[in-house]
Amino acid sequence: MSVMSQEPRVGAASEPAASPAAETPTTATPPASPAVPAGTPLALQVESVRRVYKAKSGAVTALAGVDLEVQAGELFGLLGPNGAGKTTLIKILTTLLAPTSGTAKVFGFDVEHETKRIRRIMNMVAGGEQSGYGILTVREQLWMFSQFYGMSSADGWKRSEALLDRVGLGEKKHQRVSTLSTGERQKMNLARGLMNDPWILFLDEPTLGLDVEAARSLRELMLEWRAAVPGRTILLTTHYMAEADELCDRIAIVHKGRILAIGTSAELKRRVQRESIFRVELDRLEGGVGSIAHLPGVVKATTAATDGGQAERQNVAINLVLEDDAALGAVVGALGTHGSRILGLQKSEPTLEDVFVELVGRGFEDEDEPEEHVDDPEAST
Amino acid sequence: MAVTAASVTAGGRRPGAIGGSPGEGGSRLGGIARAFWTSVRIGWRMEANWTDPLLFFIYSVAKPVSAALILVVMLSIVAGPAAANLRPFVVIGTALWSLVTSGISGLAWSILDDRERYRMLKYIYVSPADFVVVLLGRGVARLGVGAAGTIITIVIGILVLGVPFDLGRIDWPVLVLATLFGLTSVVALALLLAAICLQTRQESWSYPEAFAGAAFLVSGAVFPLTVLPAPVQVLGLVTPLGWWIEAARRAFLPDAPSGIGGAGSYLASINGGAVPSAAECLLALIVTGAVATLAAAVVFRFSVRRAQERGLLDLTTGS
Ligand SMILES: Nc1ncnc2c1ncn2[C@@H]1O[C@H](COP(=O)(O)OP(=O)(O)OP(=O)(O)O)[C@@H](O)[C@H]1O
Ligand SMILES: [Mg+2]
Repeated sequence: MSVMSQEPRVGAASEPAASPAAETPTTATPPASPAVPAGTPLALQVESVRRVYKAKSGAVTALAGVDLEVQAGELFGLLGPNGAGKTTLIKILTTLLAPTSGTAKVFGFDVEHETKRIRRIMNMVAGGEQSGYGILTVREQLWMFSQFYGMSSADGWKRSEALLDRVGLGEKKHQRVSTLSTGERQKMNLARGLMNDPWILFLDEPTLGLDVEAARSLRELMLEWRAAVPGRTILLTTHYMAEADELCDRIAIVHKGRILAIGTSAELKRRVQRESIFRVELDRLEGGVGSIAHLPGVVKATTAATDGGQAERQNVAINLVLEDDAALGAVVGALGTHGSRILGLQKSEPTLEDVFVELVGRGFEDEDEPEEHVDDPEAST
Repeated sequence: MAVTAASVTAGGRRPGAIGGSPGEGGSRLGGIARAFWTSVRIGWRMEANWTDPLLFFIYSVAKPVSAALILVVMLSIVAGPAAANLRPFVVIGTALWSLVTSGISGLAWSILDDRERYRMLKYIYVSPADFVVVLLGRGVARLGVGAAGTIITIVIGILVLGVPFDLGRIDWPVLVLATLFGLTSVVALALLLAAICLQTRQESWSYPEAFAGAAFLVSGAVFPLTVLPAPVQVLGLVTPLGWWIEAARRAFLPDAPSGIGGAGSYLASINGGAVPSAAECLLALIVTGAVATLAAAVVFRFSVRRAQERGLLDLTTGS
């Protein structure tokens, strides 16, 4: 008795595509990994997606019109303060939640009408939650999912164990889920997420609550997994700026249900800082900063506090804002003619956090802003 | 984490080839069967208390047997010597009832447990397995646990309480058909209840038992429907449970008093007073069961859709 709608197999829609992995002559054995078809439209195509929750206090607009395109093979990051709508977007893309309006496609499949197809090619892992059937053993729980993905029983056991080894839980496979620590559950959860070798993996704060070592190995695993097969895509949310900076090909900064900026980490940084900023430390500076402020290409020169204190009290530090890096040459030359010796030179780069703070307008700790409540007549749910 | 990505895939399964996707080897029917049996197996592992003798004793032996005993004792106080006649009626009724309770509540509890306690509902939902199939498997596992209580109660009824039992007199075709359609109906009602629990935002652990309790009243399990007011009798006649219990009881005890129909009953005002035959009970069970199953399928489907629209699938009352 099937109550759920019947969905045809994934095959048809993406048939014409040829995978890079398949360009080697076809042999009897299938490729080692499920390859993502090349020429697949886009991993993610989100158009004007809105999501309004009905809460007791009124309607809450979690997503206020999001447009987003992610290429197959990208590792894409969503950054945003608490309540920005990141998890909501992931829920919509993983078919757990329907959008209030707008359309979203995962590898060309519509999240509302082609759910069965999407479920085969994606998986998701949310961090920081205590999920799992406590009474089952770790491998039993994984095996259950292997069966849901249509593997034979024996293959399911093999795969569950291989995945547990891979996430570093091999020794705990016979332990009950209830005995795992938070981080270990998280690893088990990741193993589940890799069960079907998805084309796209959604990771909602995957390193939340992990120790430094575990977080690093999870990041390595993510990169390794993605690199193994061309086209594998990851959408990641995180509150760790360094993590986003290190991992993501592109990042979207989300705030109050809207995407404020999208780009590579470098592009985003350039957005907040077009000039070059240097910090120069000198043994002395005759004529003060005024002597260099007028040089060509120098936007601003100010004295800065010297660090260290005692021994370096004679030293002078200046902050230089230059139109671009090329202007540095003239400054260095001028300092030489003034008889100053350069003790240190540092280019100061904006961090992703600077970008975040500038775009979002507040730091992470600052939570006093009330949630956005919008009375929306369109809100159908 | 030294194993490379590629080596892990070599699990022996047929990986999704181009344009296909992982694990998409078998037929759709095969996938459904696999998901179903997996859920039965996992559900059994989680629900059955075989490994814990004390829990097993409490839930599968003490609870149903004491329920039957309480009623038998009450009956002998109220009815005196005449109670001996009614004893088999009550024992079979309560025995089947333990199956109804675990059956009806099982699915709803699986939803609530998975959503609230294990937080796995969302992961099951976003897997390619049919959501309803997985839940049905879990429900069947709970039915199996309930069946243990039923069998134990009947055995104790025969050995200790003097319920007449004659293998030769059991109407096997009626018993087998009644069990088949009866359990299907129980699962259908369970699905209906699960659909309702999926919509609740508050903890609703008490719903299933409340529902089962109400159904108990109108099912004729321990006292004939006749004693109830006419409108309530109607309710009993349109639900499959009463017909199931009645058909099963007839199969076991051809001479037992009937829980449905007969002099003074509402049914008598329609059919002129005849006690329905076993075949008629079976027919009524099939008709009411089919209606319940259809309704459950429609309502469940609607409920899942609505839950997806409202974000109820991963809703928890806690953190
Ligand atoms: N079920 C719900 N009912 C009502 N409002 C909700 C519901 N789920 C989320 N919201 C609201 O929607 C907004 C977006 O929530 P969401 O969980 O998507 O944020 P997020 O970006 O993931 O935040 P975080 O970084 O804290 O995880 C928040 O204001 C939240 O309060
Ligand atoms: Mg979130």
